[in-house]
Amino acid sequence: MTSTATPATADTRPPAPDPAPAPPRRGGTSRLHRTEKRWALLFVAAPVLGYLLFILYPTGFALYASLTRWNGLGPMQFIGLDNYVALLGDERFRQTLFNTFFYMIGIPIGLAISLALAVMMNRKIFGRAAFRAIYYVPVISSIAAIAILWQWAYNGDFGLVNQFLAIFGIEGPNWLADPAWAKPAIIMMAVWKGLGYSMLLYLAAIQSVPRSLYEAAELDGAGGWQKFRSITLPMVQPVTFFLIVTQVIGGAMIFIEIQIMTPTGGPEYSTASVVYHIWLQAFRYQQMGYATAMSVVLGLLILVITLIQFRLNRRNAGFVVD
Amino acid sequence: MRKSRLIAGIATALVAASTLAACGSGGGSGADDDTLTFMFRGGDDEKKAYQEAIDRFTEDTGVKVKMIVTSADQYAQKLQAAVAGNKVPDVFYIEQASLQSYVGSGVLMDITDQVAEQGVDLDNIWPYGVDSYRFDGTTQGTPDGKLYGLPKDIGPFAFGYNADMLKEAGVDRPDPDEPLTWDEWLDICKKLTQDTDGDGETDRWGTGLNVQWNSQAFVWSNGGDWTNEDHTQVTVDTPEFAEAIQFIADLTAEGVTPNPEQAQTLDTYQRFMAGEIGFFPVGPWDMSAYNDLDFEYDLMPWPVGKTGEPATWVGSLGIGVSNTTDAPEDAVKLATYLSTDEAAQQTLVDANVQIPNRIDTAKEWAGEVEKDDSLEPKNRQEFLDIAEDYGREMPASFTYGAEWYDELWVGIQPVIDGKQKAADYLAEVQPRMQELLDQSIAQAEQAAAAGSAP
Repeated sequence: MTSTATPATADTRPPAPDPAPAPPRRGGTSRLHRTEKRWALLFVAAPVLGYLLFILYPTGFALYASLTRWNGLGPMQFIGLDNYVALLGDERFRQTLFNTFFYMIGIPIGLAISLALAVMMNRKIFGRAAFRAIYYVPVISSIAAIAILWQWAYNGDFGLVNQFLAIFGIEGPNWLADPAWAKPAIIMMAVWKGLGYSMLLYLAAIQSVPRSLYEAAELDGAGGWQKFRSITLPMVQPVTFFLIVTQVIGGAMIFIEIQIMTPTGGPEYSTASVVYHIWLQAFRYQQMGYATAMSVVLGLLILVITLIQFRLNRRNAGFVVD
Repeated sequence: MRKSRLIAGIATALVAASTLAACGSGGGSGADDDTLTFMFRGGDDEKKAYQEAIDRFTEDTGVKVKMIVTSADQYAQKLQAAVAGNKVPDVFYIEQASLQSYVGSGVLMDITDQVAEQGVDLDNIWPYGVDSYRFDGTTQGTPDGKLYGLPKDIGPFAFGYNADMLKEAGVDRPDPDEPLTWDEWLDICKKLTQDTDGDGETDRWGTGLNVQWNSQAFVWSNGGDWTNEDHTQVTVDTPEFAEAIQFIADLTAEGVTPNPEQAQTLDTYQRFMAGEIGFFPVGPWDMSAYNDLDFEYDLMPWPVGKTGEPATWVGSLGIGVSNTTDAPEDAVKLATYLSTDEAAQQTLVDANVQIPNRIDTAKEWAGEVEKDDSLEPKNRQEFLDIAEDYGREMPASFTYGAEWYDELWVGIQPVIDGKQKAADYLAEVQPRMQELLDQSIAQAEQAAAAGSAP
């Protein structure tokens, strides 16, 4: 900053020998410092710029758009909080909000199953590697492909699920066409798809539990269940926390599987999620302003829920996320 | 070490620069200046037919055209994204129901004068098709409005039957001029519904209707309608309307149509093509698939309700021109060419995806069956009768958005399943539809005000 001898153009080819006469003492370090600093700024600039352009600007834009009547094409018309007022009376929005949170029942179920699987996969059982791979396959598969396959599996007449149930003499429902069963059907699929990922994280966490803890417990005469409850479970708690937070956020934004498996939002709108409703309003009914207001509300809801989770987590366990 | 840092630095700068560039560009219309972009939707058959028509256009005029094709269900979203990104294609398909908002937003060009300059005889194009894209600022579909597009086609939605199946069951072919009443038709359906292989399960049905796309014919023919004349009042709670919906729902109870599970396993469209269904709707776009079936099919008037008059809807998709195109003259020329040129129309008609837009060509086309016995369907005239005589626009075609109309279908399944009476459901859904229609009217007014303000 102090050097004035360097013309501005020199900045464009930075590492060239610095022509500025450096003070003899601190020469090496200060020159190095200066170039380093410049480089550092450049590197920092990239993500900051990206953040401004792709996060902050769109967020601000969305906030403004949510206060307008806008069809996504023409000029925006400022209408204050009208969209939010309309939202309060929107029965379908409430219904989709309910549906979306209903789907989250799948999160604890999925976590319990994947923890159980992780414990099993941690044993030296035959074909362990193969099982791990099999459970992970759904995670790397395209959600669109999976949704289509499950749509077939849920077919009322010939679907795999009902054929399987028929073996036990159970006559399965017409899953995706029955308002009572459509949501559970989607939950099952989501649990199945998420198992591999949660299992992998749990497995890694279990394997990093110090052996000495188990040995000490064994010396004290602890059984298998006691060891699991008092050592494994608390030790993997950070992973549980991470999974719950990320899955709640992801679950709040569930859309693709809904749109593919039930293109009309399901029987009597029983599978439509909030994002599905937003998408419909924005792109089918050209109410971009209103749809944006809904997504702002959804974003705030997710934020609040996540904050509550952090608070609860801090109180219940020593583990703190900085 | 210096070198690698230099490279890293350049890379960073490039990423940042290209990011900025990506945001900065836009405007203009996609391709090079002398190339038109044409965005449309459709399957392979349609794409092929259009490619041919457009190749001929390029040959005739020297104007190059870049085609952007999307699947049917993605089209609206892609077009909207293109508009938002300031990359409106020069020429593109436009739905009847979105015309008003696109006009209000200044996306569509008023092509009234340019089309007149092209010397096109618009009187020879189906009036329904042309008028669909006329808009006078408040009303769409009026002959006095300015022209914002030309019909890509019109789609008279006819009723058809499997002639072989009727013959086998000893039923006379339905008279093309004397429509069946609902009861007469239902009797035939019952006769056709059979368990042909004796395994205790029905495997042949009289019909297989879809309430969302087929109820219009029944409601209208029974004297009901979705709204009043000027589209301000939702009238689905009338007895005529309820009776028609109930009639369709009862078809499931009568067993003359596949039940919901069976329809889900293999939809009724597939079942008709497999020869399992007697009566089924036929649109012009179905001809390419139906003509290859190994049974004979033909068209007939829809069965009639209280009014004694058949009714059905006529769909249409338009071709519009962007307001911001660099080459308005060429763009209008392309739209006009695709919609009205004789050779271009012939290509599309030969592909069996539509009936001719030109009335004289259409009459010729319908008359061809007299000379050539192998042509299907024999009663092509039915399509023309619908276009000329008893077809109407879909209930939501000329309203601002279709949310009010879609609302009817969301909860209709219990009625079809026989769990709820049609009249009860309609009484329950009418206020919700009315509220949405009121909103749509308010939006239309605001859009009109915003459009005229600047």
